[in-house]
Amino acid sequence: MESLDRRPTDWGGHVALVHDSERQRRIGVADWVRRGLDLGAKVLYIEPEDAPPERSLLGVLEEHALRVDVALADGRLEIFAASDEVYSPTWQEGVTDQALAVGYPSVRWSGEERTAWSVMSPARHTEIEWETDLLCDTRPVSIMCQYSAHLPQAALETVCAVHGAGVRDSQLQALPTPEGLALAGSADAANDRLLRSMLVARAATAAADGGRITVDLAELEFLDVAGARALWTGTTAHRMSGGTVRLTRSLPRVDRMLRLLGVHQAQGFEMEDALE
Amino acid sequence: MSETVPIVNGRYSHDLLLHDSDEELVDGTAWFVEQGLESGGQVLVHSTEARVALFREVLGTHPRLEYGLDEDLYLSPSRTLFAYQRKLAESPRPIELWATGTVPLGDDAVGHPAWGRYESLVNEVLGPYAFHGLCSYDTQVLPERTIAAAKAAHPHVGTGDQRTASPTYQHPADFLADPLAGVPDPPSGPPGATMTIPGVHHLRQVRGLVRRTCVSSSAVARDTVDDFVAAVNEVVVNGLHHGGAPVRLALWVDPARLTCLVTDLGPGIGDRLSGYRYPDPDGPKGLWVARQLCEDIFVGSLPDGGSGVLVIAE
Repeated sequence: MESLDRRPTDWGGHVALVHDSERQRRIGVADWVRRGLDLGAKVLYIEPEDAPPERSLLGVLEEHALRVDVALADGRLEIFAASDEVYSPTWQEGVTDQALAVGYPSVRWSGEERTAWSVMSPARHTEIEWETDLLCDTRPVSIMCQYSAHLPQAALETVCAVHGAGVRDSQLQALPTPEGLALAGSADAANDRLLRSMLVARAATAAADGGRITVDLAELEFLDVAGARALWTGTTAHRMSGGTVRLTRSLPRVDRMLRLLGVHQAQGFEMEDALE
Repeated sequence: MSETVPIVNGRYSHDLLLHDSDEELVDGTAWFVEQGLESGGQVLVHSTEARVALFREVLGTHPRLEYGLDEDLYLSPSRTLFAYQRKLAESPRPIELWATGTVPLGDDAVGHPAWGRYESLVNEVLGPYAFHGLCSYDTQVLPERTIAAAKAAHPHVGTGDQRTASPTYQHPADFLADPLAGVPDPPSGPPGATMTIPGVHHLRQVRGLVRRTCVSSSAVARDTVDDFVAAVNEVVVNGLHHGGAPVRLALWVDPARLTCLVTDLGPGIGDRLSGYRYPDPDGPKGLWVARQLCEDIFVGSLPDGGSGVLVIAE
């Protein structure tokens, strides 16, 4: 059975799962539910009332041989039909607090962007996404929002901006840090748009605090020319307006790729020596 | 009789010095070094330790004259080629570089074709710069075929008033198609691994397959395997973006040599010289990077249509 990469990074908080295909989405969702139940969390899922069986959460879990009858029966897993109400931050806060009050150590929420868009406008949904960070900051909550990787670039940048705990796809994780961004996994021609979006989003907020962002590459196992180009183009506006981008703790092979492409000599980049 | 042609300062030149005595070698080298110093450029004389000592005695010292050892500068054809290119392309100020020496072909004729291709590709890679090369070949010891390849790879032969256009010179693209270039065929045996690659989302699988196969079935250094994996990744990305589906990969792993053939059914990049020139800032860089990550990459057409790219590391 296939599973997403597991990294030491704790993927709590408000995170986006960006998937290129339905297959990747299903793997990501099954993995996330399994992890939640393993942790003893209460798992809450929002889907359309009329979700076809093959797309529904239960369909996904069945496909990945995850038996949830007991979890459903005793309330550890709960599925809500999408409505204006279930997306209201106040309502979500109430349900979350109730779960915490009865003894769950943490709570997990997930749903697809298209589910939300079936009951509200994308603009309204984005507003709610911004507020969702607050719920995660104040409670032991993990919210994983599912988005298609095929969204237009601007929309993808918004997705990256509103998820305080970062974005991930099947092979790359990008986690905002106080100094900038930490990358884990592989950055290549399959996810260069996502990486670029994340850098644009992060650079936009960093411009306000001193103009320097640090990209921690310690967990980045592979970077190809397309990935390096994303590091470059995703920070172009930031660097050209006087900002700097510090690339730190890269593995030797990642360092080699960056140097072959002249990133170490490019305006606005600072590169530390590679990890040995 | 061919007409004598002078070297033009500020332009590119790549000359062949055929000699059968040390005296001829020293005289030709001295002339070239003098031209270089007079032009105001930097001059590099490279050779074996013994020869460098000989040259130093005859040519003396000068602030713009540097002596180098082959064992430092001429480790492998692709490394040397791109080291010169980077030196010239990335210099903050324009430089005029004059380099002369004996390309270390190796002790036997096995390494000769690889360095022969290097000599031809120098014209493609360094052609846009103020680079001057004078490469000395000892006709006493070198096989005829190697001398013929050198004549086809250097636009000019001879020094001083003996400097003329090489009558058998070939453009690098033509040279690579000539048997003299010794471009290898893919191994004839069955590949150790194969894969059909539907799209970029399978790149990670491609890298995993190549890495695992190389690590388990060869004694090639881990860093070399990493670079090879990255080179194959770029070639596959090219195939997926510019080639026609299906993109396929076949891998042959020997104890000391890694070979990967990436094929697709599109018209392909076609040009044997793709990825050699220093790239434009916004231009494609994948193949150029890939060429620097391995020993050799050959771009060609398949006999029954489509294109094939052979990636080799040692």
